[in-house]
Amino acid sequence: MAVAQPAARAVAAPAPRPWWRGRAGLVVAVVLGIVISYFGWRNDVPWPASLTWNSLAAHLDSFQTWLSDHRNLPHPSIVFRAFNGLASFLDDIVGWLTSFFFKLTWIGTTVLGVLVVLRYGGRRAALGVAAAFAAFAAMGLWEPSVRTFALTFASVALALAIGLPLGVLAGRSDRFARAITPVLDAMQIIPAFAYLMPIVILFSVGPGAAVATTLIYAIPPAIRITALGIRGVQPNTVEAATALGATRLQTLFKVQLPLARRMLLLSVNQTILFALSMVVIAGLIGGQGLGDVVTSGLYSNPALALLAGVAIVIMAIALDRATEAMAIRTDPAHRHLTEGKKRRLRLYTLACAAAVGLAVGLGYAFGAGSVWTGWTGQSWLLRQVQSVLDYVQNPSTFVFHITNPIGNFIVQYGLEPLRTFFVATPWPAMVFGLALIAFLVSGLRPALIVAAMLAVVGVANEWTPAMDTLSQVLVATVLTLAVGIPLGIWAAESERARRGMRPVLDVLQTLPQLVYIIPFIYLMPVSIVPGVMASVLYASPVVIRLVEAGIREVSPNSVEAAGAFGATRAQVLLKVKIPLAREAIMLGVNQGLIMVLAVVVIGGLVGSGALGYDVAQGLQRSLFGQGVLASLAILALGIALDRVTQGRRRRRLGDLA
Amino acid sequence: MKVRAGGLVAAAAVVVVLVTVGSAAARSSACGTVTINEQAWAGSTANTYVVKNVLEKNLGCHVNITKVAEVPVYQAMADGKTDAILEDWGHQPQWDQYVTKQKTVVRAGANGVKGVIGWYIPTYLMKQHPEFKTWKGLKGKETLFKSPESGSQGMFLGGDPSYQQKDQTLIKALGLNLKFVSVGAEPAQVARWTQLYKQKKPVLFYWYDPQYLNATYQVSRIQLPKRFKGCLDDEKLGGDPKKYACEYPSYTLLKFMSKKFASSGSPAVGVVKRFSWSNADQNAVAKMIAGDHMNPDQAAQKWISANKAKVNKWLGK
Amino acid sequence: MVRVTTLALPAPPASRVDRSGEPLIRAAGVWKIFGRHADRIIGTSDAELPRAELRAKTGCVAAVRDVSFDVWPGEVFVVMGLSGSGKSTLVRTLIRLIEPSAGQVDIAGKDVTAASQAELRELRRHTSSMVFQHFGLLAHRRVIDNVAFGLEIQGVSKAERLARAEKVLQLVGLEDSANSFPDQLSGGMQQRVGLARAFAVDPKVMLYDEPFSALDPLIRRDMQDEVIRLQHETGKTMVFITHDLPEALRLGDRIAIMRDGAIVQLGTPEELVGSPADEYVENFVRDIPRSHVLTIRWIMRDARPGEEDGPRLDVRTNVRKAIPVIAESERPVCAVEDGRVVGVVDRETVLTAIAGESA
Ligand SMILES: Nc1ncnc2c1ncn2[C@@H]1O[C@H](COP(=O)(O)OP(=O)(O)O)[C@@H](O)[C@H]1O
Ligand SMILES: [Mg+2]
Repeated sequence: MAVAQPAARAVAAPAPRPWWRGRAGLVVAVVLGIVISYFGWRNDVPWPASLTWNSLAAHLDSFQTWLSDHRNLPHPSIVFRAFNGLASFLDDIVGWLTSFFFKLTWIGTTVLGVLVVLRYGGRRAALGVAAAFAAFAAMGLWEPSVRTFALTFASVALALAIGLPLGVLAGRSDRFARAITPVLDAMQIIPAFAYLMPIVILFSVGPGAAVATTLIYAIPPAIRITALGIRGVQPNTVEAATALGATRLQTLFKVQLPLARRMLLLSVNQTILFALSMVVIAGLIGGQGLGDVVTSGLYSNPALALLAGVAIVIMAIALDRATEAMAIRTDPAHRHLTEGKKRRLRLYTLACAAAVGLAVGLGYAFGAGSVWTGWTGQSWLLRQVQSVLDYVQNPSTFVFHITNPIGNFIVQYGLEPLRTFFVATPWPAMVFGLALIAFLVSGLRPALIVAAMLAVVGVANEWTPAMDTLSQVLVATVLTLAVGIPLGIWAAESERARRGMRPVLDVLQTLPQLVYIIPFIYLMPVSIVPGVMASVLYASPVVIRLVEAGIREVSPNSVEAAGAFGATRAQVLLKVKIPLAREAIMLGVNQGLIMVLAVVVIGGLVGSGALGYDVAQGLQRSLFGQGVLASLAILALGIALDRVTQGRRRRRLGDLA
Repeated sequence: MKVRAGGLVAAAAVVVVLVTVGSAAARSSACGTVTINEQAWAGSTANTYVVKNVLEKNLGCHVNITKVAEVPVYQAMADGKTDAILEDWGHQPQWDQYVTKQKTVVRAGANGVKGVIGWYIPTYLMKQHPEFKTWKGLKGKETLFKSPESGSQGMFLGGDPSYQQKDQTLIKALGLNLKFVSVGAEPAQVARWTQLYKQKKPVLFYWYDPQYLNATYQVSRIQLPKRFKGCLDDEKLGGDPKKYACEYPSYTLLKFMSKKFASSGSPAVGVVKRFSWSNADQNAVAKMIAGDHMNPDQAAQKWISANKAKVNKWLGK
Repeated sequence: MVRVTTLALPAPPASRVDRSGEPLIRAAGVWKIFGRHADRIIGTSDAELPRAELRAKTGCVAAVRDVSFDVWPGEVFVVMGLSGSGKSTLVRTLIRLIEPSAGQVDIAGKDVTAASQAELRELRRHTSSMVFQHFGLLAHRRVIDNVAFGLEIQGVSKAERLARAEKVLQLVGLEDSANSFPDQLSGGMQQRVGLARAFAVDPKVMLYDEPFSALDPLIRRDMQDEVIRLQHETGKTMVFITHDLPEALRLGDRIAIMRDGAIVQLGTPEELVGSPADEYVENFVRDIPRSHVLTIRWIMRDARPGEEDGPRLDVRTNVRKAIPVIAESERPVCAVEDGRVVGVVDRETVLTAIAGESA
């Protein structure tokens, strides 16, 4: 017996544990516990007043007052004068760029834009740029478009000037990367509304302040992607350079930067898109351009706001495609230039420059204006857009009779009960329950962080709105994943689906949410639904892209091997590709959550209430403290959710090391 | 000479120099440049463009329009980046800060429009339920306003987060079985109640006048308890809800100027100070702009040519 | 009749190894342990643990354990072992691409382990140069710019470094591809670029880390010939890492066999094949035909009186090559070293040696 035992143990495969005894089962048990506490002590245990720091908002308010008082003294201190100088410097850059484009006349500006892209990006991209110019002219939005472009250009240039070096540092130093990551998270999650007022006090209003605000949001992707690029450089090339005696700087400039070129250009590209997504907010503090048209149009002329939103999208897509094409076409590793070709290209460059000069000359000769003021189809377009809006606004159309009940149903049986559940559950059950789930899913450290973050929310006196927001965020995230993951898989499996989806995703990512949310407000007139829809629409593109990239990157060898065993396409997908793409899918979940949180404020503007409303009100009613606290609560929720979803991945990486 | 890739930049630079030299001269000089801030609502667009056209046509000013949000615009005036705002609905903290304490912003009087904030229902509903004339009539009838998100209670549609409001406290103080539902910014709120309006359904909401939509939709105000001494309006201050149990004050909409502009001696200062018109005037222009989608400059000129006498008064003639 | 058959076979090349002076590379007691607090392990009893146990106990991996060897000027020193045995780590510690945890390395009389960063750079720029398994070429540069890269790092002027690179490209037979980009070349050609890049800086020491493992067998053979040729032409000292025994035997003057971070045997090819130190080495050399590696020195016996006037063969002659001579000769063949007979081989000794092969 004693001899046989080990053999038997070795032979018998461990019996698969039923799911309810695994981690999933424990999580379900915890959730059940929370639900039981809800039914037992509903509304009985609100966050105790003794555990809140009520004067915090007042302290923040008086800080802002202090800031304003000292800033507006007849002779402010050197610090404020430095900010002043910085502000006028930024103002000047944007102003200079704008007047540069205006002075080229509209002909010169167009020719300059098209030829630069033609020279470095090729015919297709140039055609796209030309079409964009035509669209701005046709929409009668030439001037605001040029202003927005100047603002974006300045912001992106500065974001890169700051972001690329920091990204290089983060790429080369683990410690720096670890230190800077939470800062970047905060910069991306804290809603711009929260810091708009301090920015205005420090930078006043105008393009300078707009650039400063945009920078806060656009620098993080520049840093992140650059760092990724530097890290992605094959270690053996770096090693080869080191072995030849290269200094760190030589390695950086001769090896790492050139080889990370694609990622660096991707970071340029993403910085542009992020900067453009701030255009509307920039409009609130004198950013001018299309953002202005959107914000003011929203109240008195929604069709015009929509048109301006479309102009932003067109600019974003044109710039995206142009930078992408330029990145590919100028890559020396893939485009092998001979001396002769190089000479010809130089001639080509010169010809383009001459053509631009000629165009400007012609512009002056024929008295072309600084902006296009000729024929526009604006009024026709506005009528069309308005008729669509009228249609969706009309509660007697059949569309409304379908969408309205759906919206009502979601609210009555989904969102409202869930909201009540989160708000009314005793807070200790919520805190310990969520921390426990984090522990089960991700480990001890994440669990402690989750508990700490929830405590921050409570102490900041934001418990109820935060739980309200949390319920909506969860629903939105689940919907986002339900939409994003299948579409991502589809896009990975079918080139046609991918190509079909791409422009739609581009539009969703760059169209100001306030704009595309308009139809939803009309079609599903229940307060929470449009906010959830906005989140889903905004967050799914990221999820789709990450899932798609993850599945596409599954090594063809594994796929081939599975195919060799006679697996069907579905089997390959389910048993090979999706499991192997798990990292990317988890990253998608994580990023989906963050993106959903990023639109919480927009939700507040279309009826989600809770934290988003408090943040929006904070800016607009000069309740600075309230806005900051609500934003901190959003950040705390973000960190907590991030830890729950990202913990496992980190732990697995820890195992590997 | 060697052919250089920098040729493009060089050519561009030459162009810039040429152009800058050429166009430095042309600029109107009589009154200089005046910057007025336009707020996001149609009424503000109306008065901003009317004053703009008066200044441009009569004084030869060059008028810039900024579109900064309501609170940041005070800092803009403190910095002299914006010269004037023509319609402010009351920002006490900013007045304390910038007008009283820092003296970087100065008052420029009232713009003549009376602002009213209150609880509104469609007029058809008022006709069916005359008892809704005062808030007492709502008592016991709250469930008429039920909606998916208000559960068993009646729904009260809250206003834009940027507007003055104290409805949550009011509801509590008046002991009404209503649920305050925020539908977010004004366009969203408008979408919500106009839709119910079009279906001739009951709806109770935060609203105000002057508002150009009031020319399109017939709405009636519910009489809230009269104002009493010591009655409060800023619910963020907290305290006993009973202290808030009164109607909103009626607002005298105010104009403000930056200190810099006020002491610049520009003839435009006088016009901004004297500018004043009626609710009807403002609604008429706002309707042309927002309702009929007329170009704001055209709408302003149309009104100006029909109201020469008022304009002359502003010009001090 | 006395036939002097020494001339009938090409004499094996005279050894280029110069053992008269100091060794060019001297590694003494080199350790490399990966993991946290790795430095605390050396000198304790933990360091003696087998690798797997050490890992289970401390989470650290002892990649190189107490390795010592000398490499003489002009020598080709091969390090061989299974994948994971610590070869790459070892060769990197020589020029501190990986910091050794303990031990000392001298190259050309200079203590590398004590060198400052600047001194280290000087060493890497002028004294050593390395060829990598995965080439490590710069995709954004032309072949010639890749070859000139080391010189560029040194700050050599453009004209000069391109001229030098061109010469080196000729040496490796790539002069026609100077303006191509790495991705336009086959793997073998890419590694020629890697070779050229290493040669371009004219180093004293060449380090090769499995340079041909990623190549097809035929190309690999070509490249080995190339290395042998270059070695003959330039007389460089080489440390050559491989996991392929035939490659090691073809190239190496001496071979160090590594296992789990330690050197288990260090010797000439003959010594390894003739008397493997343990089972691990034995397993390696089992399939190698002994007659191809062993020289007659290895199998000869002492000459009995009167046998010293038989046909003569250089003592360094391969057994395989000696067989026809021995077979033809009636008498035992004399093994000659420096004109002196040091032993004899006859049919019997050869048969015994060959029999040992199949055993
Ligand atoms: N950077 C590192 N960190 C941790 N362990 C490493 C590292 N590099 C190599 N090792 C480990 O050291 C051992 C020797 O690796 P290596 O020198 O690459 O072997 P070889 O080149 O002989 O295949 C292996 O077990 C490997 O896993
Ligand atoms: Mg190796």
